[in-house]
Amino acid sequence: MQTKSTDPKVFRRAVGPENVSTEESELEHFRTAGLSSRGEPAAVVRPQGTAQLREVILLARETATNLVFTSSAPPRFRGDTVPAGEGIIVDLSGMDRILRIDRRNKVAYIEPGVTFNNLIERADEAGLKVLMPLLPRKSKSVLACFLEREPIIIPKYHWDMTDPLLCTEMVFGSGDLFRTGTAGSPGGIDRQLKAGLAHKNPLGPGATDFLRIVQGSQGTLAGVTWATIKLEAKPTVHKIYFACDDRLERLVAFTYRALRPRLGDEWLILGARSLATIIAESPGSIDELARRQAPWTLVYGVSGYRYYPEERLAVQENELARIAQAVGVRPVPEVPSCPAKKMEEILAGPSPYPYYKTVPRGAFADVAFLTTLDKAGAMVEVMSTACDAHGYPPSELGIYIQPIQQGRTAHVEFTVYYDPADEADRARACELVEAASWELDEAGAFFSRPYGSLSRIAFRNCPDSVEALRKVKQVMDPDNVLNRGKLCFGEEVV
Amino acid sequence: MISDEAYKELEEAVGVDNVSRHPAVLDSYAFQPFENHESMPWCPRPVAVALPSTTQEVSEVIKACNRHNLKHKAFSTGWGLWCGPTTDDVVQIDLRRMNRIVEIDEKNMFAVIEPYVCGAQLQAEAMKVGLNTHIIGAGPNCSPLASATSMHGVGHDSIYMSYSARNVLGLEWVMPTGEVTRLGAPGSGKGWFCGDGPGPSLRGTMRGYTGALGGMGVFTRVALKLYNWPGPPEIESTGTVVDVMSEVPDCLRIFGCFFPDKDRLADAYYDIGEAEIGYNCLKVATPAFMMILAPHLFKKLKGTENLRRLLGGTLGQMFLIILAGISREDLDHQVDVLKAIVDEHLGFVLDAKNIPTLGSNLAMNFIRATMPALVFRIGGSFSTALGRNDSLDTQLAWGEAIAEIKRGYAKKEMIIDDMGDNPYFVPYENNTWAHCEVVYPYDHRSEKHLAGSSAINMDFIINAIESCMEPMFGVVPSARKVLSPLTSNFNRWQRKLSEALDPDQTSDKGFYTDEAEFDFTNVPPERVERLQKLVEDLTWTELGPPE
Ligand SMILES: Cc1cc2nc3c(=O)[nH]c(=O)nc-3n(C[C@H](O)[C@H](O)[C@H](O)COP(=O)(O)OP(=O)(O)OC[C@H]3O[C@@H](n4cnc5c(N)ncnc54)[C@H](O)[C@@H]3O)c2cc1C
Repeated sequence: MQTKSTDPKVFRRAVGPENVSTEESELEHFRTAGLSSRGEPAAVVRPQGTAQLREVILLARETATNLVFTSSAPPRFRGDTVPAGEGIIVDLSGMDRILRIDRRNKVAYIEPGVTFNNLIERADEAGLKVLMPLLPRKSKSVLACFLEREPIIIPKYHWDMTDPLLCTEMVFGSGDLFRTGTAGSPGGIDRQLKAGLAHKNPLGPGATDFLRIVQGSQGTLAGVTWATIKLEAKPTVHKIYFACDDRLERLVAFTYRALRPRLGDEWLILGARSLATIIAESPGSIDELARRQAPWTLVYGVSGYRYYPEERLAVQENELARIAQAVGVRPVPEVPSCPAKKMEEILAGPSPYPYYKTVPRGAFADVAFLTTLDKAGAMVEVMSTACDAHGYPPSELGIYIQPIQQGRTAHVEFTVYYDPADEADRARACELVEAASWELDEAGAFFSRPYGSLSRIAFRNCPDSVEALRKVKQVMDPDNVLNRGKLCFGEEVV
Repeated sequence: MISDEAYKELEEAVGVDNVSRHPAVLDSYAFQPFENHESMPWCPRPVAVALPSTTQEVSEVIKACNRHNLKHKAFSTGWGLWCGPTTDDVVQIDLRRMNRIVEIDEKNMFAVIEPYVCGAQLQAEAMKVGLNTHIIGAGPNCSPLASATSMHGVGHDSIYMSYSARNVLGLEWVMPTGEVTRLGAPGSGKGWFCGDGPGPSLRGTMRGYTGALGGMGVFTRVALKLYNWPGPPEIESTGTVVDVMSEVPDCLRIFGCFFPDKDRLADAYYDIGEAEIGYNCLKVATPAFMMILAPHLFKKLKGTENLRRLLGGTLGQMFLIILAGISREDLDHQVDVLKAIVDEHLGFVLDAKNIPTLGSNLAMNFIRATMPALVFRIGGSFSTALGRNDSLDTQLAWGEAIAEIKRGYAKKEMIIDDMGDNPYFVPYENNTWAHCEVVYPYDHRSEKHLAGSSAINMDFIINAIESCMEPMFGVVPSARKVLSPLTSNFNRWQRKLSEALDPDQTSDKGFYTDEAEFDFTNVPPERVERLQKLVEDLTWTELGPPE
């Protein structure tokens, strides 16, 4: 398909002139992000609902325009909302209603613009808690976050990779409307609610799972206009513990044995630098704080619910203490400069503005992938060697290990901090991330949600999946109008 | 008929001993009575059957079929009409030689298995390393691969071990073209720990709420989640299904929980979920136990009004729950919580510990799901009303609505009177959603029952649509044709994907994308009209469903 120059005025027809902007102050947010190369956003278009989004997509098909969805407000870091070449930004952040919270069935109905803060407040009023990723940006869309398969910090609630996303409404790149899970059952939503549906079943309809297909697609297949999100009951008692160690293997052994019978709530492992970055009150204190921490800290929570809460808490504490002793780990109620209470508050909400990872040096680049917990240590070694080779001190590397799928899989995230104003520093970070990604790939890292140039690495390993994915793309986005050139849908991959 | 040339290529693919076109052999595949509502319970006879033993052989069989314009259809453990051909040009691929547990990764809690590994086999091996596998309610004789990739997937243990489709961590798939692909991390050569990505998840093309029922190639390996098993590596048992006696491990407690009414039962379910207890949980009708365990006695006693009232009424709102503790303290806590919840909702618990024979009989029957097949005993066949799984409340309401429909048919003797609502109700994932189907037994030799069966199924479909549910038996071509326009036109999209990945449409699509007209012969005209009206009212436009 030929790419035409995009005339933003066309989209006024769909959303009204007031919802089309060509202001540079808005466009600049989509020119670059993180280490991505420059894009050329021509306008920001703001649909006010599903019908308008459909119109926008249909117009894009008519005019061969590249559309890039965004649901969060800036700052942005990954480059998935920077068009590859020219494009129109479809900003859904204005669709920000929490449509419904159902306490009994523990589910929230949200539009794409709903952020964690809004949702936490509403859920809390209902006695529910939001399943949080680790410190999302304040402006981050809840829906976009889970569409990206961002891991949550309570592994026992992560039954499958789609969690905690449940049902959705989406508009395919063809302009067709589709509803997934039980939202796709007969009848409109009001009628379904009257019939008692709570939109808790994420599968189908029928023998296809379009939610699963669209998740992780970085806006290349469909735009999602609302979703139901799984919430959980708020514990009546809750405590945070730490286990500090200079050997990651011990914490991994502890994690395996604890998560197998689903002990504990929050469960994550942080390297000293990441922990310091999270708990520091000021940028200046990070180095010193990092020095005072053990190389590895496991943070975990235990809870009691409505019935015999103290008894449950005691059972959990005792079981975990037994396991800890067996593997040679010692749970403690605080780490330097961070008592349990403080960590509890940190984990319960989004990051302070603008984002905790920008605090150390002003900018950062992540390398995130999946593996199993027993391989995490080897991955750390690969990354540290790469750091050494590029003159980046391994002690300054951010490391975050998150068990997901109830402990069967581990999300590993390395963060390289750099000064965006220092071209050499930026270049070094860029080279390190690129080189390390290849080496990690060789060592078995699975880049399940590759951003930017990482796609080249991720998709070269699975040419047959690429072939199948391209066929799926052809079905859902026949004119290739959605986030052109991303993932394996560009020319250069495979 | 299969040509000699095509047959020879099948022989070359799997060896002469592993392919057959002998009518007697083929008829053993075509005899499929379960969920076959015809008076003669056959499905179309396959033109040949091939028994590959490796993925490569599966691929070669499919390629041979494709060269000769023959369709293919996979058969793992083969329980039900769905694994049989739906047209006359199908080669049945019987996967019984692919029966290996390839790997059990104890630490990361998963197993990689082939199609003919059955639930009992995997469970026995998993228990040896302190793990357990989800077994669907059809029983331990079924293939966990088939239900995870291709069919449904609900089981007594779903409270703790979820729904089969959600347990997939990686997949090996011989596509309808004969090409072999792997999904997720194994597709990138990284191990079997994640089934999704990179990028969009092709798991979504493998299946949705139901599977493609053999309509999308052949799955040859799957990585399935395993779950903690706090019990011993082996459970000492004597006897078989009905009279089995097992040593109940100390880490388990089994309770029957009875409630005065449905609302209190529902509230208790929700509370149990939030307390995060339970390993195995099942609501069945009390008379169902007698019906499956002692059908002759049941037939004699079912006219007894007092017994009906006692079992169907007073003891009607109940569920069985197994608690599993990792320590004494943990188990005691769970028992305390369960009792507090049941008390609060004015119920009572029956502790199987106090009735040792019951406990030792139920333990393995529930952990291994061995009993459900006994439902065939009373009438020779049975069918079921499956609505779309969602909140616990919707599923309980579905159970009640279907029970009401059933009563009418039982009174007219158009199905067997089973003296109760006979639901198979299980909560998923700490009771955060649930499944309910309502079983009815019938005698497929009775013309009246066959007529009853087709009429009652129409009532179920109408009721499902009225309750905004997609009936699970939307896999039947006639139901799919009616439902698709009311539910996102899902079959239009399914077809497009099917055509993209299977350009020559070589897999048997009968239960996947084919559509057909309903046979309304036994359906009263007012019910036909009702269905037509619902379709008229609820058909999607390009702007979605009419609100
Ligand atoms: C008494 C009874 C109780 C039941 N209870 C339950 C229940 O509680 N929960 C539940 O989920 N189901 C239940 N069922 C239905 C059950 O889903 C099916 O009977 C069973 O899963 C299918 O049988 P099977 O596992 O032997 O697989 P098969 O019959 O071999 O396969 C089932 C389907 O998958 C396809 N298939 C099989 N293997 C492959 C493969 N390798 N590649 C591609 N396609 C394949 C087949 O073509 C077929 O369409 C019950 C059935 C009975 C008889």
